[in-house]
Amino acid sequence: MKKYLLVWWKMSSMSLMAQVSHPLGSIGFLLGKIVRVVFFFAFIIAIFRHVKSLAGYSLEETALFFLTFNIVDISAQILFRGIYNARRAVTEGDFDFYLIQPCSALFRLSLTTFDFLDALTLLPVLWMTLDILDRLSVSLFSLRAFLYLLLTLNAVAIASSFHIFVAGLAVRTQELENTIWIYRDIMFMGRFPSEVYGPMFQLFLTFVIPIAVMTTFPVRAFLGLLSWKWMGYSFSLSTILMGASFWFWKSSVRQYTSSSS
Amino acid sequence: MKKYWRAYLISLQETLQRRSSLVMDRLGGIAVMLSLYYFWKTLLLGRTSFLGYSYSQMLTYVLGMNILRSFALTGRGWELVGEISSGKISSYLVRPLSYHGYALALDLSQKTVHLFAAFFEIGALLIFFHPPFYWPKSILSLFLFAGALLTASLLFFFLEFIVSSLAFWTSESGGPLFFFELFIQFAAGAFFPLDVLPRFLQKVLSLSPFPYLVFLPINIYLGRVGEGRAFQDLLISFVWTAVFGATSVYVWRKGLLSYSAEGG
Repeated sequence: MKKYLLVWWKMSSMSLMAQVSHPLGSIGFLLGKIVRVVFFFAFIIAIFRHVKSLAGYSLEETALFFLTFNIVDISAQILFRGIYNARRAVTEGDFDFYLIQPCSALFRLSLTTFDFLDALTLLPVLWMTLDILDRLSVSLFSLRAFLYLLLTLNAVAIASSFHIFVAGLAVRTQELENTIWIYRDIMFMGRFPSEVYGPMFQLFLTFVIPIAVMTTFPVRAFLGLLSWKWMGYSFSLSTILMGASFWFWKSSVRQYTSSSS
Repeated sequence: MKKYWRAYLISLQETLQRRSSLVMDRLGGIAVMLSLYYFWKTLLLGRTSFLGYSYSQMLTYVLGMNILRSFALTGRGWELVGEISSGKISSYLVRPLSYHGYALALDLSQKTVHLFAAFFEIGALLIFFHPPFYWPKSILSLFLFAGALLTASLLFFFLEFIVSSLAFWTSESGGPLFFFELFIQFAAGAFFPLDVLPRFLQKVLSLSPFPYLVFLPINIYLGRVGEGRAFQDLLISFVWTAVFGATSVYVWRKGLLSYSAEGG
């Protein structure tokens, strides 16, 4: 564990130095990420100047759905930024070096490119979330708040499993470009409560691509609207997906025959 | 002119050749369209209008956004940054062609494919979901919309060209381009109609070229802008396009003066 922490620390320091040494680029990326959060948040607030509720949810509740989506989405990006370069790492041969290093290739491929710009974007999101949670007059030390935290962490675990699947696909096929962007694009639907999408799509977003489980369930639990049955489903799903993604990753690495010269 | 036509045709074939990339590009657009379609549908449940948009107008705005995103807001900014940074533009500079014309030909080919894909997606949505679709009341609105669509496409091309040209002076132009692409989607009304925003923000944006990229063309189609006013707005859009067209040529020439490349 100490070894992994040390590697992570070294690689993250290098990531930070790389970002600091490119101030214009970093500021541009940071501003872009902040614009994306702020404009959507402003949009939701502006909408509620004209309506009282959206799919039965108040402004604070809708804002909490949006902010929870951002927490899950940004956390996954912070942790798994390296996945975005997985295909390149495989085709250019870097992955071969990861395999001979004395640490997990998955860890080396995905977790060692810590994105400080995303971490900076996450701070105001967390601050806004705490403010909204406070406004919803549910104690932050209540069971509901604890379940919200647990289900949000569970959502990050589900997002992690998708990222591991994508890493496995990159190793297995070497041709599957931009798979991660499909996940990101579909995740767009998590910005709003799943009730918005109607019964058919809700089923799809709960059982096929579980975006609702990732972004809607934590908030419903906080509002006291999620039954224990669904919570059980949520935790079982993340356990199964995590197990399956690790299995897929290992199987992909076993079949890997090196693709570069 | 013939060489640009050839470049257009070759690029068209190239875009169609990379079908998996195209499908992935389109999937993103479909997810955004479906998400916003359901959002507005839910919001308008039990209402006849919202901010002056009728039910059919608002849902048509969402579908229209897909067309505008595909035809006006797609570009080759990242390719241009890559070509300048890697020195690949050197090979274009020695050829008997204008880089602006060449880039425009490639840009148009990409937009042609995305426009057809957008029409296909909207057609599928109309067939499967039967949303109330708004048809313009006069044929003139359709022509004005087509004019606004073409102008918006050119305007975005020049704006993106200017931002991407930063690569002549810095290797970090990716950051500003990323910011530009995200900011413009909100400022142009590519996620929601600008009427939703507070009045002072609407006024600030109306002084910029951004609403002419998405918000105005769709409003012309929806007949929310009178024909006289639409002509006037189209004229302003032309002026913005001319101003940014001239600026992009100026920036390009200045950039070439500071451009250097080694190796073969």
